[in-house]
Amino acid sequence: MIALAALPVVLATLLVGARGVAALRSTSDFLVASRRISPTLNAAAVSGEYLSAASFLGVAGLVVKNGVGALWYPVGFTAGYLAMLLFVAAPMRRTGALTVPDFAEARLGSPALRRFCAVVVLVIAGLYLVPQFTAAGQVLMAVSGLPYWVGVVVSGVAVSVTLALGGMRAATYVQAFQFVLKLLLFIVPAVWLMTAVGPETRHDALHPAEFSRFTADTPVEFRLPTRIEVPAPMTVLADTDAGPVPVHLEPGPYVVPGQARWVFPAGADVPRIRGTALPGSDDWQRPLLDSDRSGHSLLATWSVLVATALGTMGLPHVIVRFHTSPDGRAARRTAAITVGLLGTFYLFTWVYGLLGGVLMPELYLSGATDTAVVELPGRVDDGTAGQVFTGLLTAGAFAAFLATSLGLLLALAGAVSHDLLPGSLRRLRLTALVAAAVVVPIALLASRVDVGAVVTSAFAVAASTFCPLLVLGIWWRRLTVRGAFVGMGIGLAASAGVMAASLLIQPAPGVTALLLGQPALWSVPLAFLTMVLVSLRDRPPPGAESAMLRLHLDETRA
Amino acid sequence: MTSPQTAVVLTARRGAVSSPPPRLSAVERDRAERLRRAQLRLALVGLAGLALLLVGLPILLDAVPELIRPRLFGLPVSWVAVAVLPYPALALLAWRQLRRAERLERADENTGDDDT
Repeated sequence: MIALAALPVVLATLLVGARGVAALRSTSDFLVASRRISPTLNAAAVSGEYLSAASFLGVAGLVVKNGVGALWYPVGFTAGYLAMLLFVAAPMRRTGALTVPDFAEARLGSPALRRFCAVVVLVIAGLYLVPQFTAAGQVLMAVSGLPYWVGVVVSGVAVSVTLALGGMRAATYVQAFQFVLKLLLFIVPAVWLMTAVGPETRHDALHPAEFSRFTADTPVEFRLPTRIEVPAPMTVLADTDAGPVPVHLEPGPYVVPGQARWVFPAGADVPRIRGTALPGSDDWQRPLLDSDRSGHSLLATWSVLVATALGTMGLPHVIVRFHTSPDGRAARRTAAITVGLLGTFYLFTWVYGLLGGVLMPELYLSGATDTAVVELPGRVDDGTAGQVFTGLLTAGAFAAFLATSLGLLLALAGAVSHDLLPGSLRRLRLTALVAAAVVVPIALLASRVDVGAVVTSAFAVAASTFCPLLVLGIWWRRLTVRGAFVGMGIGLAASAGVMAASLLIQPAPGVTALLLGQPALWSVPLAFLTMVLVSLRDRPPPGAESAMLRLHLDETRA
Repeated sequence: MTSPQTAVVLTARRGAVSSPPPRLSAVERDRAERLRRAQLRLALVGLAGLALLLVGLPILLDAVPELIRPRLFGLPVSWVAVAVLPYPALALLAWRQLRRAERLERADENTGDDDT
């Protein structure tokens, strides 16, 4: 059974967790070890922690659904480390602060600001975590037929047990190993897929034709109620307990009930879904993002790029990694090497996206495109090879899910138990478990979110709050506590608040919907501007200038 | 070896982070200010390069949709421009930035030596 492929990954994580119990003895273990860790090794660890289910599964799924333009997402994910290298890596390392709340207090000396930062950490980590669990549930469902909730709960238990064992997190070399593992589990199947599909499919993938007619009887699983537009009369077979029942559809809108399996007949016209382009159509082939077909593809593309490129520096599970570098110079090298490592990984996403678009375009109907990556090998080869590669990709997806969600849960628990409600180490573990217990039910409800798209909203929040705080805090001596507070508050409201509001009011596709759904393009400049203007009318705290200047003093070498 | 996350957890809050920053000597202060200016200028140049890529490339692809017709290694050129090209470009920008930032620090160290 293919689902077992995830088992070695989970077991390995548990073992690493158990091993961590011994390592919990002292902080200095980490601090001393850090002096021996080379930037290359650390960059691999950063990448290992960063490559989540969104990278492994989400981007290729978005290509199937939204088209080639979705390949801009990983460009932004990578560019984030360049932005980090430009403005944050070295000075941030020199603060000695391990988290953004730490930084806020070290730079501006305000415990209240630290608590506010911790709340923002909760928002970002929550937005990042839920889709990870969703992806884990969908993958297990796709490869093993288990119900969605089983996958989510199993993942929740795996993560919780790892945390409860006390081995909070893998050490640097384990993360680095995780990166190599994910890289191999992504590249090798990609190469195999490209050779195994044969010249004809390869040609189709590179010259996509519009998916407007079913070429064979095509089953589609609808997990949730889905609105489709039927272009021409057709008779589909709906699976029921009593066997397949023919359903006649006249042209017009229909709502397919949830938990349904419909078989569309060969030769029928493919139903449309409002706001999405048919896979392979000209719109789909455009290399720009236009997720709701409102025609503002430049704005949509820039919005995602601003969020991802500027949000990376504020991700709670990423910043802490840079402290394994012994000094600012090594942190800078780590960031630079990470750009190269991530680029190597993302160079292969298009293979999955394009093959998914040609081999399983019907996924666009159900919207469950996040499983495209793990389902591809089975479509290409129904023998052992297909099963082996499905297993490999499932293991890789689980490695991605576990690495990121453990790091995030810990960042989240740290924010609660240190910055909000200070407590003991035991309390911290408990907080991590509670956090997992909160995230799992949310993931159960959020079964249709697109991993890549929701993760991008976490980036948008980070870019609108922590990015201005870090950049201005590091480079501008006049930043004040009030400026940081108001700027981050406005940034949080303009990103998280506005995105939540747009989910509720569901504006019609257009510029407004775009700017509300993906606000980074205006919320980031707004947060910067607010922070600067409010600070200018205020007086910086005493000692703030030397707190800032010393971040730029490179370590003297003996 | 403990993970950084665990270290966060274990670091006592009242530790080094919240203590007031050490005073800088006048010499250190000048050097820090010089470095800050130079590094900021360098970072802004790097940012301009990044913006050229992330703002300019979409504009180009939007303005010249014909780029989907010519092919490079079997892929339409406009797809190569988003699927492949940005990664070496980003790596190049990162490499340049790293080199120059380190050179700035080294150069300043040498001037400092000359002064004393």
